[in-house]
Amino acid sequence: MVLKDILSKEKKAAFMLGNEAIVRGALEADVKVVAFYPGAPTSEVLDTFSDALSNFDYQMEITTNEKVALEVCAGAAFAGVRSLTAMKSVGTNVASDTLFVLGYTGVKGGLVIVMADDPHAHSSQSEQDGRFFGPNAYIPMLEPSSPQEAKDMVKKAFEISERHRVPVIIRTVTRVNHQSGIVQIGELNRGEFKKVKWKELNEEYTTLGEVARRKKLKMLERTAKLAEEFDQSEFNFTKQADSDVGIVTSSVSYLHVLEALRMLKLQNKVNLLKLGTTYPLPKNTIKNFIKNLKKVVVVEELSPYLEKELCGIAKEANPDLAIFGKKTGDFSEAWEYNPNVAAKGIASALGLEYTVTEAMVEEAKKFKETIPARYPTFCAGCPHRGTFVALNQALKIQVAKGQEHYFSNDIGCYSMWIYPPISRGDSSLCMGASVGVANGLSHVIEERAVAVVGDSTFFHAAIPALVNAVHNGNKFTMLILDNSVTAMTGQQYNPSTEFTAGGRQGKKISIEGICKAIGVEFVEVVDSYDVKGNVEVFRKALDYDGLAVVVCRRECALYGDRNKRRRGEKIVPFYVDKDVCKRPYVCLRTFYCPAYELDEDRQPRISPELCDGCSVCSRLCPIQSVKRTEVKA
Amino acid sequence: MSLNIFICGVGGQGLVLLTTVIGNACAKSGIKVVTGEMYGLSQRSGAVSVHLRIGKDAFSPLIPYGEADILLSLEAIETLRYLEYLKKDGIVLMNKRIMHPPIETSKLITEKDSKYVTVEDIVYKLKEWTQNIAVVDALTLAKESGNARTENTVFLGCLSALDAFKVKEKDIRESISEAVPKKTIEQNLKAFDLGKQSAHGSLCTLVPCRPLP
Repeated sequence: MVLKDILSKEKKAAFMLGNEAIVRGALEADVKVVAFYPGAPTSEVLDTFSDALSNFDYQMEITTNEKVALEVCAGAAFAGVRSLTAMKSVGTNVASDTLFVLGYTGVKGGLVIVMADDPHAHSSQSEQDGRFFGPNAYIPMLEPSSPQEAKDMVKKAFEISERHRVPVIIRTVTRVNHQSGIVQIGELNRGEFKKVKWKELNEEYTTLGEVARRKKLKMLERTAKLAEEFDQSEFNFTKQADSDVGIVTSSVSYLHVLEALRMLKLQNKVNLLKLGTTYPLPKNTIKNFIKNLKKVVVVEELSPYLEKELCGIAKEANPDLAIFGKKTGDFSEAWEYNPNVAAKGIASALGLEYTVTEAMVEEAKKFKETIPARYPTFCAGCPHRGTFVALNQALKIQVAKGQEHYFSNDIGCYSMWIYPPISRGDSSLCMGASVGVANGLSHVIEERAVAVVGDSTFFHAAIPALVNAVHNGNKFTMLILDNSVTAMTGQQYNPSTEFTAGGRQGKKISIEGICKAIGVEFVEVVDSYDVKGNVEVFRKALDYDGLAVVVCRRECALYGDRNKRRRGEKIVPFYVDKDVCKRPYVCLRTFYCPAYELDEDRQPRISPELCDGCSVCSRLCPIQSVKRTEVKA
Repeated sequence: MSLNIFICGVGGQGLVLLTTVIGNACAKSGIKVVTGEMYGLSQRSGAVSVHLRIGKDAFSPLIPYGEADILLSLEAIETLRYLEYLKKDGIVLMNKRIMHPPIETSKLITEKDSKYVTVEDIVYKLKEWTQNIAVVDALTLAKESGNARTENTVFLGCLSALDAFKVKEKDIRESISEAVPKKTIEQNLKAFDLGKQSAHGSLCTLVPCRPLP
């Protein structure tokens, strides 16, 4: 995609990422308020809205967390204005308190929630299956398989939302958000942004006790109506064949099934039902599909959500139907699917021969054994690397003195501390939990707990746990790694910078100011690159008999480099002076920077293409052999 | 028929931009295309991969095992990480550049007998799978274009030489100009040409190519 496709007024075919197609669908539906907290695999929804912001009149916020984002959208929708938010699977957990209530209160303006699950936990802490949010909160749910469907469904979701006065979930998976393809875009007719007179709307959105009980009945009525409507939806379709075998599928699994049928030479030889409205399910459509079949194979990633529903429907519509899926062991609840997994499962269910998967993977395995793993690691110039080198040194000194530690990690780039060659971390759960857990640990372990959070995570979910620690007098050490942006998801702005969505001016919020205001007595602010100086500060914070906070500040290297390039500043790499270096390998043993390698003589060298010029390795070298390249004026 | 290209490399090498340029060019040429992109943790230096499928018979965003026609590798070590996707006797288009992961380097200083993987080792292993291997010195060509960050465009030039790659050159050039930063358009177009020329000296001795004008 290029931005001009997002802005295009005319119908045309464009190459788009699933996330970009979602944005285009919302713009075609004349969305007026959008709010997000970034999270893979949805971050490009935020980024695209941010890039396009100056061309449109929608209001946009990068919020402190997903719950606030949903509430921003709910506020707009209560007043009859169309709004959209997008969040990753686990972000929905944070927003769920509000989500469940919105099922009761309903909305006036269309409210669309893009919820992206991450089968395979590519960039998440779990393989959570968010489809259960639909039935649990009585909120309708659509599931696209491709960027085209994503665009079409988002647009349609606004209509459904307004017709039934309820938010609509667009449930995606990583392979839909990060799938690109040709999308037929529609016309863009944007209305003018106008403020609304609340009093004239005559609306109310309360729910409690007796009111909630009344609204629950309405919610059930609404869901029954939606089920009827979804029986007519173009998002559910069948491909008929002269066979008594059928396949039921949804989401990206549909595309894997098409590929699998080609591989198994079953194209047009089995019936196919592709479901696009997965809550409430179109029961009559499913009944009609299965009533004359003998066998049905259900192909869906993660939990047997469709499979269980199908078992219930079949009991009434076709009790003799043989249903194959996870319960029969043909498919797994673990990990994401691909065409080979789909082919293997279908073949196993139907008693066909298919051996490609294991054979190819097995054969390729012996080639992989000859190469090193490439774990995610800190970028060249990343301030976290300096912070952790200093922390490691401080911890080592403390251990020698008899103080041991529990390392409570959190969600952000610093999570990568759990990977080799460092492999450090006693726990890491979810946003902000490092501090919450440290509270509990401080009561029960003899070691000193060290909690680590980033700036964005601090604002997102760590503040309540920190307030709790101060109030209850809990003793531990907390490092707040402030790199100015939400780095891991693509360097989005957060309250730690003076910018907000679209690069517009925002109010910067002081992290140390918050800490002091709530009563933390030990608050130090340091430069993450000052490794030697920080060892001492960290030691003091570890020795402190109380709650100690150290804010480690230095901007994300990718963000900083981009700013430097924009300003026309050169990034000047460092080099190792061979004549000085005596190869104690301190750089390599402690720093693990990807810009470092060894030459044929095992002499450390710095790749000038990868070096960010951060200077930290030069400060660590005991014999000053690492030097800045001289730049000719 | 569809053309399946599995692209791999290291975070920061511009795989996603390369995919965008090809996809936009396909849209201009009226060719169906679908991709599955694997990134998410935004940091540099991790393994990144893209499944790129051109043509009307491709459905899934993921290439089935053994069905990639081309394995395009912007970093040599990464080539061996995804062989299950490549057809036997498929084409390997591989960068000469190796970016040693920190874990490999730290093994070198702790184990005296330990050695880095070399391009020769990788080619030797690859020959058990396919003979159609072209090694491209993309960094040198990129520097020749005036911008060391155009390795991805060098490879696009190589791809465009192939007979099987049906996207029109005019559309690719246009697509490059629209997607890269304005200041680097000339450098990228030069990198594209250098890549195409280099293919005619190596890859095209192995597989059918379009004639040079």
